[in-house]
Amino acid sequence: MAQNVSPRSGFGGSRKTNEGVSGGSKDTHSVSKRLHSELMTLMMKGDKGISAFPDGDNIFKWIGTIHGPEETVFSGLTFKLSLEFPSGYPYTPPSVKFISPCFHPNVDTAGNICLDILKDKWSALLDVRTILISIQSLLSEPNIESPLNTKAAQMWKNQETYRKHLTEVVHKNSN
Amino acid sequence: MPMAGVGTPVPPTVPPAANNNATPNAQNNAAAAPATAKTWELSDYELQRTPQEAVTDNTEIAVSPRALHSELMCPICLDMLHQTMTTKECLHRFCAECIITALRSGNKECPTCRKKLVSKRSLRPDPNFDMLISNIYPSRDEYEAQQQKALASLSKTHNQQALATSIEEGMKAQSQNRKAIAKANAKSNQDGTESIAESANNPGVPATPGIPPSATPSEDANTTRVQPTAAGPSQTPPTNNGAPTSVVNAGASKPPTKPESIGDNSSNTSAVSDEITEVELVFKPHPAMQTGTSDKSASLRTDHIQTRFIKTSGNATVDHLKKYLGMRLALDAQQGGQAEDEGPYHKCTISIRPHGEFMNIPDGLTLGQICDKYWRINKPLEVYYHWKKWSNN
Repeated sequence: MAQNVSPRSGFGGSRKTNEGVSGGSKDTHSVSKRLHSELMTLMMKGDKGISAFPDGDNIFKWIGTIHGPEETVFSGLTFKLSLEFPSGYPYTPPSVKFISPCFHPNVDTAGNICLDILKDKWSALLDVRTILISIQSLLSEPNIESPLNTKAAQMWKNQETYRKHLTEVVHKNSN
Repeated sequence: MPMAGVGTPVPPTVPPAANNNATPNAQNNAAAAPATAKTWELSDYELQRTPQEAVTDNTEIAVSPRALHSELMCPICLDMLHQTMTTKECLHRFCAECIITALRSGNKECPTCRKKLVSKRSLRPDPNFDMLISNIYPSRDEYEAQQQKALASLSKTHNQQALATSIEEGMKAQSQNRKAIAKANAKSNQDGTESIAESANNPGVPATPGIPPSATPSEDANTTRVQPTAAGPSQTPPTNNGAPTSVVNAGASKPPTKPESIGDNSSNTSAVSDEITEVELVFKPHPAMQTGTSDKSASLRTDHIQTRFIKTSGNATVDHLKKYLGMRLALDAQQGGQAEDEGPYHKCTISIRPHGEFMNIPDGLTLGQICDKYWRINKPLEVYYHWKKWSNN
């Protein structure tokens, strides 16, 4: 299949092909099978500071929770995220977004996350657990060089004002 | 790597000094990459270590299931490795299907360590590892087949809606058939073309969703119902008696739609809902019968004491059983060249033997009720018949 596609056409193109082909019921089954076993390990291991569970009956849509890392401006806060798995999962990454308001240099106001492992650095080995851990560490170590939220990037230098503004944003939106 | 010693036994004769050739894989890579491109820089540990020796005596090493599982698992599908492929350079293992899909759809790198994987040629099949797995889990195919089955039954329940409607259709068709047969019976009683199955008509029809009940009521009334219910392994085929004009043969030579639907019946019974269950029964003469018919001709006697294997609806009653027996015997008698009418079915007694003692059962009970009350074991219901005296002759 992919051998007939020019490698120059880039990976967006070939990924699309794959999703189209693997939309069959058998593949959907293997995707849900993998998601089920991910859920199992998540519940067995019980990582500290992260959790995730399918949103209702749909195994392809999960809600994840991240606790802000200790000794950072995010400590004491919890953030909810949505994870949506494509039929090409785990060969294609899920789309992950913040549901809770989050003031962060690499998260835009709509909750979109700029993180390489969710885009071109995705690997089939990554899973819900590693995604959430990665996002948790992104919180404490933002990439200031390529910000989605420039205001947050500028404010990052002064952690005290940052914390103040962050709490404001979180509380304003939660009320 | 706890598995290394098991999977790829390294000859213990290799001197530790020949580091570049210490393992087969190093040889492999040395051959693959021209000497100009790469030099192998080994750590102190690698320079020091000696190859693990293969365990050849009967030493048993306990491995926890979890550790074992993580060794035999494909990190992509999180299932046990299937047709193991190993990356040539970094030696990570995946199912063939998983790693090939991953290379097609994403970056050309090892999903585990991001080492560059140019193409499928950067992988090699690992039959040793497959053998290892099949030795540890010899029943894996069985397990997978079971999984498949479970999946199939799951998707069947998704179609339950469709099944329910088709059962409804089948029931309607049945009740129509029943009316038609009741009418036809009034005429055909003297022909002997009726049987136990009349009320248990086509029990398998609802179990075949998508296939509408094939027989029209009028057709059913003509077709003798002996065929679907009486077919059993021990039954001598009527053709053996050389009487091709018999009613039974007429039934058998009907268009093939009939026998086919019979085949469906037996294969689909397990899928039928609880309302319409089939009962398998062994229908045999009471022990007293086998000694009490000495006055009969030899051929007829064997007919009388024949054991019959019947599969019919649980809705059939004892009365139906009697009618069936009477008709069956009358037919056999006809084929044997003796003229007989319906036979003594109304005089015979049906009994079962649930706890070693014979027990007569009243006409009105259905076979399903008998099974529920007296026969709660998982084998065909055994039913005995006997009558005091053969009224004709």
